[in-house]
Parts: sequence; C-alpha cells; structure tokens
Amino acid sequence: MRRWLLIQLGRAGLAAWATASLVFILSRVLAAGAEEAMLGESNDLRVRTGATSPVARQALRQRLGLDEPVFYVTRTSRASATWRWHGPHNQYHHWLTRLLHGQLGWSFRDGQPIGPQLRKALVYTLPLAGLAAAAATLAALALGLALAGGPLATPTGWRAALQLVLTSLQGIPVFVLALGLLFLFANPDALNLLPAYSLADDPENLPFGTYLLQLIMPVLTLVLAVLPELALPLAAALRHELRADYATTARAKGVPAPTLLRRHALPNALLPLLTSFASLLPSLLAGTVLVESIFSLPGMGRLLAEAAASHDYPVVVAGVLVAAGVRLLGLALSDALYALADPRIRLAS
Amino acid sequence: MSFMRRPRLAALPLLATGWLVAVAAVGLLAPWLPLPFPAGAPDLLHVAEPPSWATAPRHWLGTDLFGRDVLTELLFGARQVVLLSLPATVLAALAGALAGGSAGFWGNQGCRLPLAAWLVMLAAVWWLAALPGGGQAAGLLLGVATLAWWAAPRLPWVGRAVWPLPLDSLFQAAVTLLGAVPRLVLVLALAAGPPLSTGHLLLLLVAVAWPEPARQVRAQMLRVRTLPFVEAARAAGLPTSRIWLRHALPHACHPLQATVPLSLAGLIGLETTLAFLGVGRPPDVSSWGQLLSMLRQEPSAWWLLASAGGALLLTLLALQRLARPNH
Repeated sequence: MRRWLLIQLGRAGLAAWATASLVFILSRVLAAGAEEAMLGESNDLRVRTGATSPVARQALRQRLGLDEPVFYVTRTSRASATWRWHGPHNQYHHWLTRLLHGQLGWSFRDGQPIGPQLRKALVYTLPLAGLAAAAATLAALALGLALAGGPLATPTGWRAALQLVLTSLQGIPVFVLALGLLFLFANPDALNLLPAYSLADDPENLPFGTYLLQLIMPVLTLVLAVLPELALPLAAALRHELRADYATTARAKGVPAPTLLRRHALPNALLPLLTSFASLLPSLLAGTVLVESIFSLPGMGRLLAEAAASHDYPVVVAGVLVAAGVRLLGLALSDALYALADPRIRLAS
Repeated sequence: MSFMRRPRLAALPLLATGWLVAVAAVGLLAPWLPLPFPAGAPDLLHVAEPPSWATAPRHWLGTDLFGRDVLTELLFGARQVVLLSLPATVLAALAGALAGGSAGFWGNQGCRLPLAAWLVMLAAVWWLAALPGGGQAAGLLLGVATLAWWAAPRLPWVGRAVWPLPLDSLFQAAVTLLGAVPRLVLVLALAAGPPLSTGHLLLLLVAVAWPEPARQVRAQMLRVRTLPFVEAARAAGLPTSRIWLRHALPHACHPLQATVPLSLAGLIGLETTLAFLGVGRPPDVSSWGQLLSMLRQEPSAWWLLASAGGALLLTLLALQRLARPNH
C-alpha cells in the first residue's frame, strides 16, 4: 500500500515537473511575442519615446532574462537547421536551479519576486478553498443521504427534482454560477443581502465578521460547482449498498431505515467519495481562478488569471507549479483517508 | 427517471434538440442574417442600455458597454460554439478513440514491430528534428530499413529482431502528463501568450480534451478484445489491424455516444471561460463569455446576464438532456 502510494506520488510528481517544464519552455519560446506586446502597451502610454529602438529592446530582453538561449540545445534557424549546445548557460537551467533553491523568479510585469506575492495570495485562497472543501463535503454527505433515503430504488418526488437539479448543475461553468449568485444576492435591484466585493486589501485588519460575510458568496459558488460530482456518486453508492444482501438481512431484523442508511450502508459507500477527494482540491483551485476574479479577492486564482491575461509568464509557470502541488496533496490526502476509513487497507500495509 | 416520464416533461428531448439545431443554424448563418446592426459596430449614443422596443434604434436585447447590439453579438457568439467547440469535441473524440482504442487493444506487448519499421520511424524523427546529417542520414536509414525489410523473410536473425511498442505505457504517460494540473489552469498557462488564432485555439482545446474519451474507449476496449467475436475474427485469420478497425473499435466506441454531448458542454464551458477571462483571444471576437465578462464592470446589466447567460445555460442543459438515455 505504502509502496503503491509512493509510486503514484512519484509518477504525479514527475508529471508535474514535466508539465511545468513544458509550459516554461513553450512560454519562453513564445515570449518574443509577449515582449513585443509589452513594448506595444508601453508605447500606448508614453508617446513614442524610442522604446522600440533596438537598444531599448535589448535592454528589456536583458532585464527579463530573455537574452540567453532557452534550453541546453537549440536549433539555430529553419533554413540551415543545425543544433547548438549551450551548456548550463540557458534560461531553463537557471530557472530549475533557482526553483530547487526555493526561488520562483521575478514577475515580468513589475519585477517583484514571485514567492512573497504567492504567499500573500495564498492567505486569501487557503481559507476560501478550505472552507469550500469542508462545506462541500458536509453538504455532499447530507444530500447523498437524503437522495438515497427514499423507499424505492429510483428516486421520486422531491428527491427526483433534487437529483435533476444536481445533474443540471454539473455542466454549468463556475463563472456563470458566480455571476448568477452575484446578480441575485448582491444587487441593489434584487436582493441586496451580501457584500459583493472585498473592501480592504489586508485580511488581518478587517473585522472577522465582515471577512466571513465576504467569504459567503465565493464559498457558496465553489460548493455549488463541486457538489454534484461529490453528492451524485455518493447517492449512487448508497443505493447500491442498500440493494446488497446484508442490507436485506438488516431490514429483516427490523433495523429502522435511517439507522440502516447511516450505520450500515454509509461506511461502505464512503470509499468512492474518498477517491473523488483526490480531484476535489484541483477542481477547487480551478474554481478559485474564476471566483476570485469575479468577487475581487486578491488570491492565488486571480493572480494566475491576471498573469495569463497580461502575458506574465513567470507567474503563470509558478501557478502551474502550485496547481500541480495541490494535486499531489489531494492524492496523498485521499490515500491517507482511504487507509483511515478502510481497516483492510490498514492491515495490509 | 419517473420524474421525466410525466407528460408535462415528455417534450423536453424534442425541445433540447430543437434549441441545439437553432444554435447551430444561427452560428453557421450569422454573417448572412438580415440584422439591423452590423457586428462589432458601436452605437455610441446608446451605450449599456437595457432593451428598448419602443423608441427608434430598436436594440431588441439592449447594448453592451461598447455600445454594440447585444442581439447581434449573441448571434455571432453562437459562431464560437459551432466553429470552435464543436470541431474541437469531434476531433478530441476521434483522437481519443484512436489513442485509447489502440492502447487498450494492443497493450504494452501486443504491437510488435519488425526492425524495418523501427528504422523507418527513426529516419522520420531524424528528418523532422533536423539532427546532424539531415536528409542524407535519414535517407541512409531508409535504405537500411529497406534492406532489413527485404532480409526479414530470408535471414532468420533479422526476422527474429522484433520489439514491442509499449503503446499502453506511452498512452498512460501522456494522460498523466495532461492530468497533472486542472484543465483550466493548463489552458490558461498555454494560452497566456499573444492572442491565438482559431486554429491554434482549436488545437489547444483538442490537446486538453482528448484524454477523457480516450480513457473511456480504452476501458471498453479491454473488455471488447476478449469477447468471442474478436476471438472468432482472429481464428478466421483476419489481419489484426482490420479486426481492430472494423470489429473491435466500433464496439469500444459505444460509451462515447453518451459522453460526447457532455464533453461538448465541457468545452463550451471552457471556451466561454477563456473569453470571460480575456485570455487567448483578440478582444474583438464576439463570444458569449465576452458578453458576460462585461458584467464585472456593470453588475446591474441584467439584460447581458439574461441573454448571454440564458443562451449558454440553455445550450448546456440541452446537451445534458441529449446525453441522458431516452427511455
């Protein structure tokens, strides 16, 4: 078991490194275009100060670290097409060694180091994602039990309606959910119940109550986005367990239906839910990209979205690394929970 | 589901199909429709106005923040669905069926290639990557490959030089690589550069979407390849590639019928999300996501939410209805 987990984690880690490297190299190959875009944007602001001169361009390339070759070997040009070996003096090598020393590099946009920026953003994102994960799990348990609790194998009445709503919710993009909630609950023309936008930049200076009130809608959006993929499989697993022989025996003994559901079927039906935990954290992270952009929370997701929109590659690559790390965490967490929930796995290891 | 069997909801599949056909038709025909306002032309006297049906410039669905007619933008936004998401889904399903089907059918040991085939592949890689020697080295390799092909039935030690191509491992590696980060983050990272053309965006969407159908086809193929009719085809002496393409693959692609509408819904969601965030596309391309993104500046613009959000929601729900089996 332990070995299996190690192999799984190793494979995921390798994939994370490969993905980050791929994104890095692609972005640096394409960065020539981004540099043009940056010069163009600065041109719009300052009226032709000669920023397009070759000297200025060279200076910008040097400042951004783009003047060195991208990789250990590069192909010179398409026509002559020869390979050249550059040794360790290349952008990828510098990036990798810096990364191994725990340094993520500098943002293209403002030249600030990325590490502190990320840390500041995670102060917002971690409570948001953690609250959403906890709330989604509890809601999924409640809804799963409610959906499977009917007298028949196929749900009827309000259960069928609830199932239909959950199924419909499944394919709706997060940003549509967020906009809908924003429109319903934070609109002067409709219900003006909740604050839509964060007012202060610093979460520590905010009164705790206001902070929580601001988190309600983002958390609600995230919960609605991930709820169907947690609750529907749980309900299906519960229904499957209720059809098993031991459930029939328990019913014949006269165990009341709620006890049967909670004590007998739920522990067995929990295992698939724990497996979907591995994908819960990554999908929450993907959700924060939109939720934080819409509700103006200066967190990790918004950082990534803004970096992508403004061609800030070092930040994007750092975001990819964080996302891959979150997935590794999700895998390890789901596995630990699995071992905790299933004595057979614990005994086998 | 008994809820669905009520007569009130019996017409739903028909309605869903009708809506999807309408979206497809509008998307294809948008440039030739007789619209009162041309696409992308701002009406600067009427910026961000709710629908006005009474007064002279009749913006049936209002105008957006740039003064463009929402109805026109909405109809042209359907183009993105038809010309981007739909082809991406079809290509991803095709690529997934081929990749997952071959990985499931041959596994790691099943696809044994002779020396000549390996040499031809090496030559192709050599030529494409322009390794030292270029065309001459590739030509030399091809020559050796021809020699090996000629010698294989005649010389036993050449004939025995057969190595398996680890198709399944390659497939799993590719899927793991693409699954290392959430799909949205991967697309954001790869589209972070200068605005992409439609072709490049299409390629990008296919690249992130193919593992899903591929996994389903692979799982089904593992089941299908042990069925009696495949065994019978083998026993009858049909060539393996023919068994794969004509007999096993059609059966292995069965689960795709239900999941292709869902993956189309997923890709429409992804495309509108990209447009909403303003990543990867030039800002003048009409899209439902772009219309919705204006709500960030003007949260009270209910007509934008109602039109673009409604169209998107109806399309996604209709696709979900289509994916559910009709019984």
